[in-house]
Amino acid sequence: MKLAFRYAWRELRGGGIASLYQFRIVLACLALGVAAIALVGTLRASLTRGIAEQSAALLGGDLAIDGSAEPFPDGLRRMLAQQGAQVSEVVRMSSLIAAPDGGRTLINLKAVDGLYPLKGAVKLAPPIAIGVALAGHGLVAEQIVLDRLGLKDGDTVRVGDASFHLRAALLSQPDATANLGLFGPTVLISSGDLAATGLVAPGALIDRSLRVSLPAGVAVASVVDLVQRDFADQGFRVRTSAENAPGVDRTIDQVAEFLTLVGLASLLVGGIGVAVGIEAWLDARARSIAILRCLGASAELIMGVYLLQSLALAALGILAGLFVGGVVPWLAGDWLASLLPVPAHFGIYPEPLLLAAFYGVMTTLVFALAPLGRATSLSGADLFRDATLPAHAPPRSVLVLVNVVLVLALVAVAVRTSSQSGLALGFAVGAMVTLALFRVVGGLLTRVAARLPRPRAIALRLGLAALHRPGADTRLMLTALGLGLSSLAAIVCTEANLRAIIADQIPVAAPSFYFIDIQPDQVDRFQTILGKFSSVRDVVVVPNLRARIVAVNNIPAAQFADNPQAGWAVRGDRGLTYAALPPTGTQLVEGKWWSADYSGKPLLSLDDGLAQGLGVGVGDVIRVNVLGREIDLTVASTRRIAWRSLSMNYAMVASPGLLAAAPHTNIATLRSDPGQDGAILRAVADALPNVTGIHVADILATVAALVRKLATALAATGAIGLVSGGLVLAGAIAAGQQRRAREAVILKTLGATSGQIRLAFLVEFGTIGAVGGVLAGLIGCAASYAVVSRVMGEDWRFTPLPLLATLAASIVVTLGFGLLSTQGALAAKPAAFLRNE
Amino acid sequence: MNVNSPNFPNAVPTTIAEPLVAARGLTLTVPSDAGPVNILRGVDFSLGVGEAVGLVGPSGSGKTSLLMLLAGLERATSGSVVIDGTDITGLGEDALARFRRQRIGIVFQAFHLIPTMTALENVAVPMELAGARDAMDRAREALVSVGLGHRLTHLPGQLSGGEQQRTALARAYAPQPRLLLADEPTGNLDQATGQMVIELMFELRRAHGSSLLLITHDVAIAERCDRRCHMADGVLS
Repeated sequence: MKLAFRYAWRELRGGGIASLYQFRIVLACLALGVAAIALVGTLRASLTRGIAEQSAALLGGDLAIDGSAEPFPDGLRRMLAQQGAQVSEVVRMSSLIAAPDGGRTLINLKAVDGLYPLKGAVKLAPPIAIGVALAGHGLVAEQIVLDRLGLKDGDTVRVGDASFHLRAALLSQPDATANLGLFGPTVLISSGDLAATGLVAPGALIDRSLRVSLPAGVAVASVVDLVQRDFADQGFRVRTSAENAPGVDRTIDQVAEFLTLVGLASLLVGGIGVAVGIEAWLDARARSIAILRCLGASAELIMGVYLLQSLALAALGILAGLFVGGVVPWLAGDWLASLLPVPAHFGIYPEPLLLAAFYGVMTTLVFALAPLGRATSLSGADLFRDATLPAHAPPRSVLVLVNVVLVLALVAVAVRTSSQSGLALGFAVGAMVTLALFRVVGGLLTRVAARLPRPRAIALRLGLAALHRPGADTRLMLTALGLGLSSLAAIVCTEANLRAIIADQIPVAAPSFYFIDIQPDQVDRFQTILGKFSSVRDVVVVPNLRARIVAVNNIPAAQFADNPQAGWAVRGDRGLTYAALPPTGTQLVEGKWWSADYSGKPLLSLDDGLAQGLGVGVGDVIRVNVLGREIDLTVASTRRIAWRSLSMNYAMVASPGLLAAAPHTNIATLRSDPGQDGAILRAVADALPNVTGIHVADILATVAALVRKLATALAATGAIGLVSGGLVLAGAIAAGQQRRAREAVILKTLGATSGQIRLAFLVEFGTIGAVGGVLAGLIGCAASYAVVSRVMGEDWRFTPLPLLATLAASIVVTLGFGLLSTQGALAAKPAAFLRNE
Repeated sequence: MNVNSPNFPNAVPTTIAEPLVAARGLTLTVPSDAGPVNILRGVDFSLGVGEAVGLVGPSGSGKTSLLMLLAGLERATSGSVVIDGTDITGLGEDALARFRRQRIGIVFQAFHLIPTMTALENVAVPMELAGARDAMDRAREALVSVGLGHRLTHLPGQLSGGEQQRTALARAYAPQPRLLLADEPTGNLDQATGQMVIELMFELRRAHGSSLLLITHDVAIAERCDRRCHMADGVLS
């Protein structure tokens, strides 16, 4: 081994910068893949630490108690006061804000008390204290509200029945992620001003939350136990800062794992570049290797000498990747933190860097062993021939075994470090199958090209012949392109399907408006206002109550909290309505609807999915709490609900009678022509300020914009694989450039014009691009099908445009590289190749 | 062009009526870090139809550069080259390529076969480039004529040096060029093989009636030509 180190050092010392230049593609491929993995790991660690450090601020306290629309019982406040806690109440609801000119926009209204925020700070522009901003009917709103309505500081705006003075723009609030909502940007007012808005009415859709800050020495867990024991029947949801934003943590983990897999895929593609680069580097040293063998060096010594050099040079690429992925985020921490919606603590995190380095070293070993093995098969006799690396030396079985073990180790670590091992394993297998497929198709292409009838046109003939010549790069170029292009195609196809699901299926039947919080005595006036608009049709008004499921067949509802199908229904209040007739389009699965004049014991028609989650059927009893009163509802039927149509429907519909007497509001939906939407909203909001109108098209536009952003982000990450493939392609072309230039010179000498040579190259590269594009498109479709149908449970549809775009991209990329190669070859001076001296 | 050299006592000055090749005042100067290098200094050269000329001289004298200029593979700094009535000094790259494929065959010391094409394909290339429909048939005949009918599908790497050079000869002669340029064709071959290749070259030349410019270090080979020229330090004498 010492000898191997000594010889390796001598060669590296002698090679110097030239070695680095020869290794440039290897270094670039490794650096890119390692940087991607290191960057993802560092970001994940930074975000996890940042969220953990500021978890209390993110929650708004040491713990949060989420209740219903009803005020919290005094007993709870007394109990918390006895613990020495500071308590701040936050009330949230959807509403409309009206500008002086009558313009309106949907908002997430948040009423806060004088102690808010218990943890962290609210940032405003201008930078005034929140208490000062909200005093005297003050209001602060996110900048987007100001931009949409053209508001400025000092403007008078209306929320419900009350007027407010806009005091500042809301830049950030520490508990923004505590209660994420889709319906509109946030507006803060003082809780003392809430009553004046007239929005707090019986049955209104309101969320109340108590944020609690405990003194030192009081354990959070003990307070949680007290709340859950003494107020078990209230259905409170208690969250602590340790588990505050499970959704956010889950999202970060899922995104980080997806990106790590993308980074691994790009490293896998880069591995091909490693193999190509090391092969070319060893080829340049074939003469030295043959001399060493002549002088008595063993195959093992050769392997040791050149493996050590490969690893040493690869280490430079890995270190470069670690620097970009691990150190740069730390250096640019402040700037990066300003871009992120959640707190991050940037620093050097050894664990993700070690993992990235491990992947880099393993990739180098996996892809270097084959060319190194071929190098050991060189003999001293090769000195007397043209000493070059044998292209097809059979692999030694021990090397094959070692390679298999390395690959298994790589996959094992990837699976082990993922929280979704099934996904990681599937991804690894899918990536390897894709690579193998491209290699097989590359081989098929060369065979087919060899068997095609010879075309008349010489350029076409030369181009096709280049595909199957000995030493042709066809298989390598296809494989280099393949993985990156396939993942991009999968992302593009999936995104197209998502857009189709959202854009094509929903709006046809979706109502134009939802109007919520219509009081019973406002229904007639509401209908009268709508009657003035000619395009209004299909008006549906249903009663809306807030109910909490407390037991299912006498089993406490809390036991269903972790049920994936039903857990959502038992956490907090849910909407409940009553109806004599079944909603339009009802599809009963089990049981039957009550008669129109039914007035017996309360019956319930339940959503079929919810019924399955709760394990109930016809005859079972669900106990609900409505405004403090517990009512047993007997299941009379279950329904299949087309939620995606966005038409009015409820998971729980009760028989009329008992519930009709309970205080409640009404929700209405209607359809109208877009040209009258603005006027309808203004008319209703002016006449009934407590009624909130939700323009469905705006919500769908928000969702569509989110999907577009997600798709763009996914496509950008998918492009990493393409960049990696591009590097490998560049490496393969660079490795063959000398040969291409020599051939071009000889062809020119024999009478080929530049156009003929150019066309021949373009035929070669264009064919590879076309075949690669078609195959990548098919693989992308297959992957997209798996995601859309199996993971999302939707109907997959074939979308030709993304496929055509993938094919076009493939051809453009390969032709681009082909042109570069051609120009280089055509520029070669004949004298340099043809001279004897 | 008269030759005055004690090495070639048998050289006979001839008057060339309508030369196939007429080069006048050729100079070739290339830049270098140490200043411009004059490789050719005002060379006048003529080659008659069907004539064979042996060009000798020390290494670095400019022989290959002259051959490159005549082949249109290098551009003269000044002067003109007229081949078969066409002034090639004014032609573009593609026009030169078209001219070469129809009129000029070249044989190199290093053979310069395309390593990824079989012997048959290598020989067929210039005729395919010219659009000949019977390129393969003619290539086959050419290889048979040089004794390589049994090596049609072999790659250059599978041929010996002599076989490679015979393949290169077949490639050069198969399009029936008017002019053959040979740059030390036996330089990489042993004496016996070189002798065989030279015999073949002259035989093919007789059969095709081509003119021949042969660069060689071998005096005996040079003496087989109709005329000998000597080049030294960029000057033809």
